[in-house]
Amino acid sequence: MTIISLSGSLDGNTVNDAQEKIMPLLASNSILLVLDLKGCGYISSAGLRLLLMAAKQLSSQEGILVLSGLSDEIKDVMEMTGFNNFFKTFPDTAAAVAAIRKGGA
Amino acid sequence: MFRVDLHPTHVSEDGKFKLRVGKPLPFGASIVPGGVNFSVYSHAATSCKLALFNKHEPKPFCVISFKDEFRIGNVFTMVVFDLDYENLEYGFYMDGPFNEREGHRFDKTKVLMDPYAKSIGGRDIWGKTPDWNDIYQHRARICFDDFDWENDHPLETPVEDLIIYEMHVRGFTQNPSSGVKHPGTFAGIKEKIPYLKELGVTCVELMPIHEFDEFENSRISPATGKMLMNYWGYSNVGFFAPKAGFAATGKFGMQTDECKTLIRELHKNGIEVILDVVFNHTAEGNEKGPYISYKGIDNKTYYLLTPDGYYYNFSGCGNTLNCNNPIVRNMILDCLRYWAADYHVDGFRFDLASILGRDMNGAPMHSPPLLETLAFDPILGKCKLIAEAWDAGGLYQVGCFPAWGRWAEWNGKYRDDLRKFLKGEPGSLGAMAQRLQGSPDLYSMEGRGATASINFITAHDGFTLYDMVSYNGKHNEANGENNSDGGNDNYSWNCGAEGDTKDAGIKWLRTKQMKNAVAMLLVSQGTPMILAGDEMANTQWGNNNAYCQDNEISWIDWSLFKKNRELFEFFRKMIAFRKAHPVLRSSGHFKNRDYMHSGFADITWHGQEAWNVDWSAESRSLAFMLCGMHAKGGTVDDNSVYVAMNMHWEMRGFRMPKLPDYMAWHVFANTDAQSPFDIWEPGKEVKLDNQNEFLVGPRSVVILVAKDK
Repeated sequence: MTIISLSGSLDGNTVNDAQEKIMPLLASNSILLVLDLKGCGYISSAGLRLLLMAAKQLSSQEGILVLSGLSDEIKDVMEMTGFNNFFKTFPDTAAAVAAIRKGGA
Repeated sequence: MFRVDLHPTHVSEDGKFKLRVGKPLPFGASIVPGGVNFSVYSHAATSCKLALFNKHEPKPFCVISFKDEFRIGNVFTMVVFDLDYENLEYGFYMDGPFNEREGHRFDKTKVLMDPYAKSIGGRDIWGKTPDWNDIYQHRARICFDDFDWENDHPLETPVEDLIIYEMHVRGFTQNPSSGVKHPGTFAGIKEKIPYLKELGVTCVELMPIHEFDEFENSRISPATGKMLMNYWGYSNVGFFAPKAGFAATGKFGMQTDECKTLIRELHKNGIEVILDVVFNHTAEGNEKGPYISYKGIDNKTYYLLTPDGYYYNFSGCGNTLNCNNPIVRNMILDCLRYWAADYHVDGFRFDLASILGRDMNGAPMHSPPLLETLAFDPILGKCKLIAEAWDAGGLYQVGCFPAWGRWAEWNGKYRDDLRKFLKGEPGSLGAMAQRLQGSPDLYSMEGRGATASINFITAHDGFTLYDMVSYNGKHNEANGENNSDGGNDNYSWNCGAEGDTKDAGIKWLRTKQMKNAVAMLLVSQGTPMILAGDEMANTQWGNNNAYCQDNEISWIDWSLFKKNRELFEFFRKMIAFRKAHPVLRSSGHFKNRDYMHSGFADITWHGQEAWNVDWSAESRSLAFMLCGMHAKGGTVDDNSVYVAMNMHWEMRGFRMPKLPDYMAWHVFANTDAQSPFDIWEPGKEVKLDNQNEFLVGPRSVVILVAKDK
């Protein structure tokens, strides 16, 4: 299992860097990835698309991507724009890890 | 696979950006490998430049000329590489002749929005005062077109099975009484889906959601001192972009995702989406109006112009879109295809659609190519096409809109005839009989049927249902035009006092009249449309033209839901009744004969005596029976339904047709009865003791169902 923490804003300026960090992890099968967004104040449209692309890539390789520590505002935006349908989210990384271990994610 | 066209061939003048000749189609800005493909048409421009802005910034950070080799025919196209397209806004500078008589109005100093912009900034948050010094007010943006629709598909509900609910995106939930988290937005409507399901409507018709400028012609009302705005939005800035100010996420530029999510969730709940589209004019007004896009890109192509080069005004809004110019026709087609394919929209209602049938000189055409193209288009093949079959230039085509068996119409005659009958005007029986049958007098020609008729009593134009039974005349003073705006032919009746009253008798009668109206609407053949809020007796205090009122006048007051629960229940059960009985939802017209050998013709007419209608001018009593064995042309079995309408101010006895011995009449609704005995859940109707005659109260409707004893 891999835990990655993102902090700051995930937007047009940072999404390429984030993508470079995350993409190598998607190369192998059965990856269990927790993205901790506790320190992340804003995710733009491009940022959400990166997360969705990573989740789809992983699930096509028997992997899982879950999100933890989302702020209420980010959660809200994801709900209004339909991105929430594609992610399991957890209040913090501990809960995310526990759920994955139990096979509940 | 290695692609050669990933490699730039040119650089911009300042050396900052790498370029390559673009693809002329599709028009607009498209994300391509490595960059963005820009393409814009102008037949008269001599040169074109692309202006690139960072979001919200006053000046472009780069201006790039389209080189000669980047022009293909009359299209300027190039690929710009390595753009941060999430933070980008783009526009065009166009140079060309300025010659009013010739119809050219080029001004190379103006930044012009892309007519094909899929996302438009500049009015990101509804009502936020714009910076009027900004040289670029409505800013084209790049749009991701990768929305994940999961398994969604337009619902393709047969049009006769729809129950349409017309709403304004902002007005539906903006009032704090709505209780939603994000009032006045697409997300707000999404929160109200459980409410829509409870009511039972199967389609929402959204008043314009294309990007418009709520500040267009904004002013202070001399009557109230309040700000008047372009609230309804029948004035397009762009045809391809959803209104950012209608999205709670518009401030993040995510309005396209929010709008699509709403449509996806509505579909999941069995509710279709029809868009009210405005192709008759744009927000650029006449020669005094602003340059937004079309005027500066190719004025002569986009607008109908007089021989002197001035703007024809068939829309009543300053200009008229040149709909049957081949270029504009294609733009409209591209636009509708885009909303059908990329937004999964189920249909369109065309505002002032008769303009779409005018030729390039403004004359009405016999067989307008645009309307024909839309009727036969493969991508729009399952979309509902609904015309508002008139325009502000005097064309009135209800019943004769060119249809090719595809176009339905807002049936304005239905509205007027039902209102006359409802208020007890003499001589209104004959017309009402036509309206109840899906208006065969209007729609029996050329393979049309009941499905050509969108039946409605109220719509955004005109009184709400409550106001229709509470006001004799319009009260539009707040609009600041001395009550001279808005229609005068309301056929309304206040039931005894103008406006709100404490008189219990008047209040009772008003509620009953609203129930009568919706009962008649939902037992009529054709497709019913309800104005949002009517089910809870929403009022605009007599304002019948609230286009500029961004306030409590036009925001639905949800506190009325509790107060008028009785009316809501009546609506809900009437809708459920219509859904339960296919006999109410024929696609064709009645044949007026017993082709199923049931002993009854498909429809039979009755009066105070069965089989005997008094059609004279002073008669206000009419009843009809729909034979259940003839439901949907005899293809499905249903109960027979009998409806007695007494719009006289005195009680009348109606004798019902005699049923076979094993059947009995059961009462489903009686608007003269006190709630909850005014209407039953479909299937729980109560058997009548007297199977021969029913006393129908003054100004009342009774609905009976024939069921086995």
